[in-house]
Amino acid sequence: MNIITINNLTKIFNPNSKSSRVTALNNFSLTVNESTIFGLLGPNGAGKTTLIKILLGIVFPTSGTAEILNKKIDDYLVRKHVGYLPENHKFPLYLTGEDVLKYYAQLSGCSKEGLQEKIDSLLKLVKMYKWKRTKVKSYSKGMMQRLGLAHALIADPKIIFLDEPTDGVDPLGRKEIRDILLELKSEGKTIFLNSHLLSEVELVCDRVAILHKGSLVREGTVVDITTQKEIYEIKINQKLDSEIVRKSTEGFSFSQKDDYTLHLKVESPEQRDKLLDKFRQNGISIEAMLPLKTSLEDMFINLIHETDNREDNE
Amino acid sequence: MNDIMRNIYLITILTLRETFSRKIFIAFFAISTLSLITMGIILASVDVESFMSFFGQKAQNNEIILSEILSGLKLMIVSPLFGFGLFLSIFSVSSLVPNMLEKGNIDLLLSKPVARYQIIIGKFLGGTLVVFINIAYLVIGMWILFGIKFGIWETAFLYSIPMITFTFAVLYSLIIIVGILTKSSILAMMLSYIIFIIISPILAFRENFYPLIDSKATEIIIDVLYYIVPKTSELGTQMSDLSISGGIDDFQPILTSLAFMILILYFSIIIFNKKDY
Ligand SMILES: Nc1ncnc2c1ncn2[C@@H]1O[C@H](COP(=O)(O)OP(=O)(O)OP(=O)(O)O)[C@@H](O)[C@H]1O
Ligand SMILES: [Mg+2]
Repeated sequence: MNIITINNLTKIFNPNSKSSRVTALNNFSLTVNESTIFGLLGPNGAGKTTLIKILLGIVFPTSGTAEILNKKIDDYLVRKHVGYLPENHKFPLYLTGEDVLKYYAQLSGCSKEGLQEKIDSLLKLVKMYKWKRTKVKSYSKGMMQRLGLAHALIADPKIIFLDEPTDGVDPLGRKEIRDILLELKSEGKTIFLNSHLLSEVELVCDRVAILHKGSLVREGTVVDITTQKEIYEIKINQKLDSEIVRKSTEGFSFSQKDDYTLHLKVESPEQRDKLLDKFRQNGISIEAMLPLKTSLEDMFINLIHETDNREDNE
Repeated sequence: MNDIMRNIYLITILTLRETFSRKIFIAFFAISTLSLITMGIILASVDVESFMSFFGQKAQNNEIILSEILSGLKLMIVSPLFGFGLFLSIFSVSSLVPNMLEKGNIDLLLSKPVARYQIIIGKFLGGTLVVFINIAYLVIGMWILFGIKFGIWETAFLYSIPMITFTFAVLYSLIIIVGILTKSSILAMMLSYIIFIIISPILAFRENFYPLIDSKATEIIIDVLYYIVPKTSELGTQMSDLSISGGIDDFQPILTSLAFMILILYFSIIIFNKKDY
């Protein structure tokens, strides 16, 4: 079942101003299935936070529609089933950790019955139990983040939006948070995650989407995305900037590793063989060749570069 | 319906807690307490008998004279109370809305199943309740001191509680809308003070300037302005009258100020409903 459906969302900030007009989202469509961990990736300013804010009614779209749990996002009651950890959240400083959870739970419509036990168990889950009577004012960044995560879970939501959940959290804490996310997924919850930390996303997400300058550039499972385009490292006996090599590689896209080694990105094995044939025809001998498995990070960086280059050429 | 009331209640309570946690509120409370103590000391040191002979009256109709003197005394207390109470009240609530709209805080609120109008109403009620509590403390304190000293327990004096609170609420609606539009507590505060200290008193006395003005059009503009701007100055005068005689002769200032408040709150909600955060 689709738990989030986004249709052609566009958001333009300050549409009437020449200097500060920003297209944060550009005709963005996406669906997210139940019980998955979905990762939204993209460079700074790509529009990730804007997308979540639109889904939660914090920002209003310029055009397009979206549904959560088959209800239009304008219906504020749909947020009863949604948990949210904003980036750089600020809880009222005069509340204690426990008060924060109690207060936001009530705002989310939780009944007081059994609330205390729930608060305690969540505080234990995020390892904040011993700080529960301390005012938020004196929390560290990582502690804030842990409390923020607990707060996002307090109302037993069906969907949880997390904007950079591991920001400011130490490596051990990150591992703990990843485990919590996997546990939540096994309970049937859907998690929508914004992140820069691609290695982490790779570890927990079922599907990812890549957003760049407000547009969706790719979407799929982590496996699909990281192995869709294979990269081969090819070492030859001629310098790459020699005339003969240049002639042989015409029409292929590759990057240079060192003087003799290139990284070739191929769509299919046939294409790879074609380049090898070209080398052989021109008397270039191949000294080594091996496939490179791209990490999500490499793929991400390449993709963003590619998109930028394409735009520059236009 | 239940949910709506609960949301408004929760926002109101959070607003109360926020104000209680701030130094300015504690200062407000401390100043009120100090005023009560000072008043108590002054009252304790005067002797009712000699007090009256000072005014040259032989105690024939003691009760009437006493209450007349009391009226004068009350006026001396009530008017500054109005100015002073409002001044502090405005000061202590002007940052409520800008604080709420701070990045990272407003996101948390808006992502909850709470409608935006509920947030505004909650903020309004919370701020008004804080001021009500404080003013009530101050006024009831004075009332008790007077009662103990002179043995007269007139309830009229207590009318200054709703009157000050109401005048505050009218200005508070302005603070809310300026807060939403500019996120600036200073601007909100300044505008309220300007209306309270300068514009409203001038407009209240506008008829005295009319001989100086040649053009009829200017007079009409000033008249229109008079009806639009909250009439804090007249509300103050009415409060003094009310706490002495117990009556209001003209309801126009109250009604037009009330209309102003409701309209401004309504516009605040409309604007808030459209804003991105
Ligand atoms: N309230 C706003 N008013 C004007 N412009 C905004 C507003 N919020 C975001 N933007 C702009 O929209 C674009 C997308 O911002 P957004 O915060 O969604 O990016 P992001 O992908 O979350 O970035 P990051 O990874 O740095 O968190 C940016 O260019 C930003 O300047
Ligand atoms: Mg962001």
